[in-house]
Amino acid sequence: MTPRMTSADRNGAVRSAATSWRQAGAIDDRALAAIEKAYPDERQGVGLVFRVLLFLFTLISVGGAFGFLVMISDTSRRTDSLPVLLLFFGAGLVIATDFQVTLMLRARGGVEAAMSLAGIGFLAGFAFWICDKDGWKDDHAFAALLLAAAILLAGAAWRWGYPLYAGAAMAAFLWSFVAFPGARLVWIVLPLLMATVLMRLSESPRLPPSHRDSCAFALGVALAGLYTAVHLGSLDSRLLEDWHHGKLPSSAILRGLSMAATALVPVIYLAIGLRSRRYVFLLLGLGTGVASLVTLRYYVHLAPLWVILTLSGAALMAVVLVLRRYLDSGPGRERHGYTAEPLFEEMGRRRMLEAGAAVVSLSPEARPVHEEPKFAGGGGDFGGGGSSSDF
Amino acid sequence: MNPDVADAIPRLVEAGVLPPDEAPRLLRAARGELLSVHWELRALLYVGVLLVTGGVGLLVKENLDRIGPVAIALGIGLAAATALGWVIRVAPPFSWREIPWGEVPSPNLAFDYILLLGVLLAAADLAYVEVKFTPLGPNWSWHLLIVAVFAALAAFRFDSRVVFSLALSTFAAWRGVSAARFGTDLWWKGAEDAVRWNAIACGALFAVLGFALKQSGRKAHFEPVAVTLGWLLVLGGLASGMGERVFWWTWTLGLLLAGLGLAAGAFLTRRFPLFAFGVVAAYAALSRLVLESTGDTLGCFWFFITPIPVIVGLILAQRRQKEPA
Repeated sequence: MTPRMTSADRNGAVRSAATSWRQAGAIDDRALAAIEKAYPDERQGVGLVFRVLLFLFTLISVGGAFGFLVMISDTSRRTDSLPVLLLFFGAGLVIATDFQVTLMLRARGGVEAAMSLAGIGFLAGFAFWICDKDGWKDDHAFAALLLAAAILLAGAAWRWGYPLYAGAAMAAFLWSFVAFPGARLVWIVLPLLMATVLMRLSESPRLPPSHRDSCAFALGVALAGLYTAVHLGSLDSRLLEDWHHGKLPSSAILRGLSMAATALVPVIYLAIGLRSRRYVFLLLGLGTGVASLVTLRYYVHLAPLWVILTLSGAALMAVVLVLRRYLDSGPGRERHGYTAEPLFEEMGRRRMLEAGAAVVSLSPEARPVHEEPKFAGGGGDFGGGGSSSDF
Repeated sequence: MNPDVADAIPRLVEAGVLPPDEAPRLLRAARGELLSVHWELRALLYVGVLLVTGGVGLLVKENLDRIGPVAIALGIGLAAATALGWVIRVAPPFSWREIPWGEVPSPNLAFDYILLLGVLLAAADLAYVEVKFTPLGPNWSWHLLIVAVFAALAAFRFDSRVVFSLALSTFAAWRGVSAARFGTDLWWKGAEDAVRWNAIACGALFAVLGFALKQSGRKAHFEPVAVTLGWLLVLGGLASGMGERVFWWTWTLGLLLAGLGLAAGAFLTRRFPLFAFGVVAAYAALSRLVLESTGDTLGCFWFFITPIPVIVGLILAQRRQKEPA
């Protein structure tokens, strides 16, 4: 990121927080305007719907252009022209993206994101073509494709500040090892080595917010990879060995270790998350915890599935309500740095969770509880949220 | 944790922009010393509802012979009654009104989810009774209408948009199932034709319902649910006709006009998600009309060139009607 982008990115974080404060009623319009004046963000972008449309139509146009040039190229020379086109399109799109993001200061505009994605895809395809042409085995050529994608995505995340690309880069990097023996070991060792570094970077004031988010995404993917590698189901199904027809020694000790890890890793993630209030660990702890419970049900027939589902659903709801009451009953409606009240800086998380729920159910989100618009931590003057006596 | 925000807060307080009494809490949140799990708890409650209803569905499917139909029907009915009983007990009095943020206040974090659970369990119970005891005989699909009406009543009484969307989708399912079963009569050319027309009619009905709710000012906050689902059904119904052999072009033309109309109307009223539906539908229909008799090369050329004016148009449109970021 250029110094101008870094400055805009830092200011953007403050403006975004100020918007959340305004929505929560903590500040008024005048204060919001003053903050926006004090922290200008000169990057140009559009709203979500326009962004999605621009992204979609840019991808269609780029794909159409590539297809058109492939179609009009001489059929007998198509094999030769394809790599040229891949390189030409890839390089051209990456340069165009860089121009838009760094010089025109486009951000969240849709067009530059689509161009960057297509550019990286074409360049990764070019890398695959080179390896394939050179007579590499399919597995190895595919690993080269993934490695090229990982490098390009990581570079894009660093240069343009796209956190999602950082997560995708980590995923591609880990998958590139699957074509070789010892992939499972790499999936365990690499995340363990990188976790501390990524965790520190994700909170470092030296980095701009986009880079911190990139590190958090990469950390999340690495930790998910670690869980996959130690998971009993992945060991039994040879998930990470199937690609290169590798052999994994059948060892009772290994299986025992995997069982223990399947049970312990979610607990460790959750414990770290709860202790440090790090959202990545909390989310991973919950997700991997559910996965481990499903694994337990798969291997051990505790009860019929309907009993498990019904009881776990009822238990989950009960736990949520108890937790809510516990947090509400604390001084200032918080305990150990947690609160069940809606807080200021979480619009992104809220949108993510609402969108997830709406996609699952194809329904709108539930309405807010009535204390939502304003958080006032003084305690005592909030009646709802399950804390009332008639609950 | 956000070091930039944590850094900015003391300066904003010093400059008199931030009220000093709010600053400590804002600062704690920015430093990661205070974390809200409000939305996570809501998401978990929702997952809990899905797990329970999934479990009940499996119970019905797997244990029919062992437990017996009456016991199952009574058990599910009792569970539904318990959930709905709790909802009735804690629900505020009925109101058409809208409060500043648009809805009647929810009395409890779990309220909407327990209500949804109760309605889903009641629907599952009714479906089970219908399958096992066949009280409606050959008109079994009418039980979907009963569920839709029940869900709609619950949605209005307890002011739940989640349950309202369930009511609308169940109503559409009723029309779909009925049309698929009886679509071969003299009204329709076939079941597919009947389902398509029913989808379009349902969509139009929902859109009109949404409009009426908004105009009357009664439960006006249900309007986006009805209108969005309505337009999805209309556009989906028209789009399904694009695959027809003979009259594909009439459906495609219909989709083009509907898409253009929706995009224009939604743009003027700043309904950006509907605007997106309209643009995509119109572009798909226009592409289908143009590409009918062209080869692959021209097709690629079309997809290369035509998005460019669309992109330019979208950028210009965005400048005129700024969508909130």
